[in-house]
Amino acid sequence: MLGSIYVTVAVAFTLTIGILNFLNFTIPAIFMITGVIAWAVAAHWLPLGVDGGLAWPLAFIIGIVAAVLASLIVERFTFRYLRIRHGDATEHAIPLVSSLGFLIIFENLVLIAFGSEAQAFPEKFKSDFYIGEIIIGLPQLMSLAISLLVVAFLSWILKTTNTGRALRAIAENPDTASLLGVDVRRIVPLVFLFSGLLCGVAGVLFVVNYSDVSPYMGEEVGTKAIAAMVLGGLGSIWGAIAGGLLVGLLEALSIHFFGADTVDVAVWGTLLIVLILKPSGLFGASRIGKGKL
Amino acid sequence: MAVPILQINCITKFFGGLKVLEDVSFDLMPGQRFGLIGPNGAGKTTVFNLLSGVYSVDSGSVILANQDITNLPIRKRIGLGLSRSFQNIRLMPHLSVLENVMMGQHCQANRITEMIKPIGWTKNNRWRQRALETIKDAGLEVDLNSTVSELPYGVRKKIEVVRALMSKPSVLMLDEPAAGLNPQETIELAGFLRGISDSNVTLLLVEHDMNFIHAICEKVVVLNFGLKIFEGTPKEVNRNKAVLEAYLGTSAMESSGVT
Repeated sequence: MLGSIYVTVAVAFTLTIGILNFLNFTIPAIFMITGVIAWAVAAHWLPLGVDGGLAWPLAFIIGIVAAVLASLIVERFTFRYLRIRHGDATEHAIPLVSSLGFLIIFENLVLIAFGSEAQAFPEKFKSDFYIGEIIIGLPQLMSLAISLLVVAFLSWILKTTNTGRALRAIAENPDTASLLGVDVRRIVPLVFLFSGLLCGVAGVLFVVNYSDVSPYMGEEVGTKAIAAMVLGGLGSIWGAIAGGLLVGLLEALSIHFFGADTVDVAVWGTLLIVLILKPSGLFGASRIGKGKL
Repeated sequence: MAVPILQINCITKFFGGLKVLEDVSFDLMPGQRFGLIGPNGAGKTTVFNLLSGVYSVDSGSVILANQDITNLPIRKRIGLGLSRSFQNIRLMPHLSVLENVMMGQHCQANRITEMIKPIGWTKNNRWRQRALETIKDAGLEVDLNSTVSELPYGVRKKIEVVRALMSKPSVLMLDEPAAGLNPQETIELAGFLRGISDSNVTLLLVEHDMNFIHAICEKVVVLNFGLKIFEGTPKEVNRNKAVLEAYLGTSAMESSGVT
């Protein structure tokens, strides 16, 4: 079940959209970078090319660090650059397109470095157990627990700390926030740091569950996570969590009852129906922006 | 003679080719209650925006407690003790009353530990404690967990003043604090502001309500078309010809027989 990964990536999307009103299209690539870097380090100790890879926990940490760095690079050259040049980031389309550019560049850099084929992560994480006739994968269960913990921790930071309050103030109104002395330029990278961290965690969870990495592993997860975020209600963290779990469940059910080919129809069809009936998403607030984050 | 807490020296501001302020100077003494008045478009709010750092001055300087703050960013000025409210209420509509008030402390949290320390962790956290005290002192009786957008205008107005107080200002600038308040609320506000001033906070008010100015201010500066045309006590203002002209127009004064 991919639900936990969708949850984590959907929350990463939600952070930049909820706080900065910026749909960060690079997120699937950042998710992918974690997996690929972790694989490269674990399998070959690349880029150093020393024989024999690094232990998997270290590889995962390096993968997550790479994801955070990539996310900060994106902040520097899409969001911040345009904000400095144009005074504000109200021109949402421009950073959106440049983040799309980063997605393609990151994917192709990985493609050039490691080729387009899927690579198998050296360590296998398989330890299923049974409850009656139902197979429960331990990695899957752990994934769900870890992703919910990380998300809960982040939303706790947003709720209780000075920084979190400043971030929510920026979400409400960046101009007023800076009039109150919030240093918007210094605090915005935090949003990207958090979302990079979430993508990193999601990338690690993906590797643990599927053992395969490829330059394109982020695309399907990324689009499904966007669907999950919109399904749950744009800009709401708990909506993103619910949406992610729902998309995972829809996938599992459609595979079970109608076969693997029907997955995308089921997910996107449900999304469209929900949006027609309730444009703010299933758990979106009735008033736009109310209870954001 | 005492040293002024805030000195405004010959500030000039252009918006494009339009000169909105020209060589405006005045000094605020510690604890003084100062009024800034003038017809619409005279440049009062521009003065506030220049003092608080929203705009930068084209020439002139601003000195706060012997420190030149002319080119400092907004947050540094707040940190040094210059705090303000806004003409159109600028609260975060979906944050709670308490959170809105606590936003006013943001500039006090300079160290990284203060930025990431959870506020709700201990019940008697000093940030929260101070917010609660200030709210209580201001006589703000409202559910602190309600979101601001649900509250009446007068209450929101007061929350803004309380928020501005949270940064422990030495100079508090209030942009039309009495606008939109009913007479009872205005009287309460005047008492509240006098209380603030008694604790040695200097007040600078932009206001249209002359009764309010008379009730509060010890000194008044009048702006018209970006120029300072008068500085004196509120009583003197009423007798000043240039001020009456600016408000009423020359022809109106002639026809009404004022000389």
